Parts: sequence; C-alpha cells; structure tokens
Amino acid sequence: MNAPVLVLAARDDWPTDRIVTELTQRGTPVLRMDTADFPQRLTVGARIDQGHGWAGELATEHHAVELSQVGAVYYRAPGAFQFPAEMSAPERMFAAGQARAGLGGVLSALSCPRWLNHPTSAARAEYKPVQLAAAREAGLLIPPTLVTNRPEDVRQFAAETGPLICKPLASPVVIEGGELKTVYTRLLSDEDLTDLRGISVTAHLFQAWIEKTHEIRLTVVGERMFAAAIHAGSDAAHIDWRSDYGSLTYTPTEVSGDVAAGVRRLMDSLGLRYGAIDLAVDQQGRVWFLEVNPTGQFDWIQGATGLPIVEAIADELEGK
Amino acid sequence: MSTAVDLREAFPLTPPSGRIPISAELPSGPDSRPWAMRGARVPDSTGAVAVPPSAYDAARQISIANDGGALTCMANTHTPTVPDGSATNPPPLDEGPKD
Repeated sequence: MNAPVLVLAARDDWPTDRIVTELTQRGTPVLRMDTADFPQRLTVGARIDQGHGWAGELATEHHAVELSQVGAVYYRAPGAFQFPAEMSAPERMFAAGQARAGLGGVLSALSCPRWLNHPTSAARAEYKPVQLAAAREAGLLIPPTLVTNRPEDVRQFAAETGPLICKPLASPVVIEGGELKTVYTRLLSDEDLTDLRGISVTAHLFQAWIEKTHEIRLTVVGERMFAAAIHAGSDAAHIDWRSDYGSLTYTPTEVSGDVAAGVRRLMDSLGLRYGAIDLAVDQQGRVWFLEVNPTGQFDWIQGATGLPIVEAIADELEGK
Repeated sequence: MSTAVDLREAFPLTPPSGRIPISAELPSGPDSRPWAMRGARVPDSTGAVAVPPSAYDAARQISIANDGGALTCMANTHTPTVPDGSATNPPPLDEGPKD
C-alpha cells in the first residue's frame, strides 16, 4: 500500500482533478483539501512531543489522513481560509493569522519525504529576480535584465542592449472597469522610449529581446523533464505566446544535456521538485532561460502533445 | 516577542478577496498608471469555451458536471487556459497565488 498523498488545491482546480483521479485509480490513498475549507469543512488535531514529530488527524467530511503517515504533499494554489459570516473583521483577521500559523505551520512542518512543491520554496521561487540569479548561477543562459523605476535607466539599457521587452514581475491579470485584462510581454518600439511616464511609480522589468525561432515549455517533475516546443503562428504570439493560444502549435522536443544539467541545478537551488520552465531558442540554436513557474500549468501541454506529465506527477508523489 | 515579518509567503494562499479582485475603477492617468499596464488588454476569447456547470464531489474529491459526467474541459485540456474575458472566470495564472 502506498503512503497517503495530501493534496492542497482549490476545489475548482481541474488539473488537480487529473492528479487525484490518477492516484485514486492506482489505489493510492488521497486526502484532497482546500485551505478555504478550514475551519468549516476541515478539521485538524495535531500533536508533537519529544518522542514524536507532528502527528494527528486531518479530516474532511468524507476523508481523513494521519499526518505522520503522509508520504507526499501536492501543493497547488489553495484558497484563503473561510470563516463564519458572523465574525467581525478584526476577528476574521485574527482567526486567519492563527489558521495560517497553526494549520499552515503544522503542514509546512510535516516531515514527509516528497513535496510538489514545498510552499515556502515555491513562494521564494515566484520572484523573477531570484529565478534569474539562480539560473545564472546554474549555468543557464539568461537575457540581460533590468529592474528599475528610473526612466533614464530604461533608455540607457536600451541604448546598450538593443531591442527590449517589458513583462510583469508578478501577476499579469487585473480586473478594472469591470473588465478582465492581461498585461502581456511587450516589445518596445522607439516611440515607447519617448514617453516613460509611469515607470517611476513601481518596479518594472525590462529584458533584452531574444530573436527566437520558437519557445520550449519544459515541465520538470522530480528527475524527469518533458519538453514541448511551442511554435507561434502570429506576430502577437511570437512576442508572448499566451496572447494568442489559437495560433500555437506544439511538438514534443528535447533539450541538450547541458541545458538539462543546468535546469537540474536550478531546481535544486530553488528547492523545487516541480516547475514549468519557459525557454527561448534563438536563431543560432542557443537556449535562453526566461522563467520558471512553480505552480505552472501542465494539463494543456499534455493534451496537445501526449507527454505523460500527470502520470509523472503521480509517480513522483508515490516515490517511484 | 513576535517579529513584524509577514507570515503569508511561507504558506501562500489565494487572498480572501479572490485571486484577482474585481474592481469597477477605471485607469488613472499616464503619470500614475504603471507604464507596464499600457499594454493591458482584454484577452482574445476566440478559442474560449464556456465552463460547464459543475459541482465539487467531496467524496470523489473532483469536480463533476451537472449531468454527472466528466467535465467538457477535462476532455479538452486546452480550454481552461483560454480566458473568455469574463471577470468571474479568470484564466489560471502560471505565477500561482499571490498574497
């Protein structure tokens, strides 16, 4: 019997449904929980003493798991704690802090051998400047990058580096005026550089534009890597493939041993066992690291290419 | 004595207001709007397919369509990544939850 797998994810995270289904079909016990279920549909009772690490029960309406028996944790974008509506705002704030430090603390301290990914590692790795520094140290090729709120630095960087792109450092999606909008990667024109009002109000990331033939989505699961070439079929997708999914075509591909070794060092450095990495291949065939997404999407790549990512995630959680 | 360190990042969760707070506020002006937001636009919804009505089955621990079958988007894995522009159906974010 495989050790139980604890899954932390939002209820409507359908890619996680695939993981749960795969594990269940294999006979592996699964407890899926959303932190949004705590405390109203999820209970915890955990103890620690000199003789034993954290142990006790975590239970939903239909399932329960003994914390000391958990063999792996799959952590993917769980929701905020939900408290009784009768609570006042100060009470909710207090309760949320207690829940995060209590439930979150116990879960973070589990000594189970496998995490995809440990939340603290994933949170740190979300920072693009951290990723770029780690990728550089790992021997991967990175584009020259500027983080600044100084307009004059942007112009100087462009003069030294050539064509630039600007991309968000954090979440690219906003809802304003009741409309959902996305901030895609933008290739700067000469006109853009003449009006840089708004640079000074926050941090911006500029990067040398890589004249690429295609991109690679490299999904890393434990020691395994799944490479999918993404071919852009429009000008917009050539700059940011997320801007025009309909124009994209995908083919399974491979990365060189050098790139794979660099990626392995990067993942170890960031403490990640899962990552969806974006790479760009330039016209000389060089492979450039763009970013790693610790909770990156994988399901559509598997659907488009047949790469067995879900199965690999299940293998990793089972320790195979 | 406790520190003033924000504990959220050690155990990141979606914010209580939702992953992407809904706002009716309009863009400010060029001096105060972050420069990177000049390119913000409503995503192309050409390839979007409406998510079918579904409910979470707490026993099976997965979502089930209201007709009892597997979700359409489970069979068409591309669909969940194509935003339909609806403020109540934001696309999944590669970057994960942000506090």
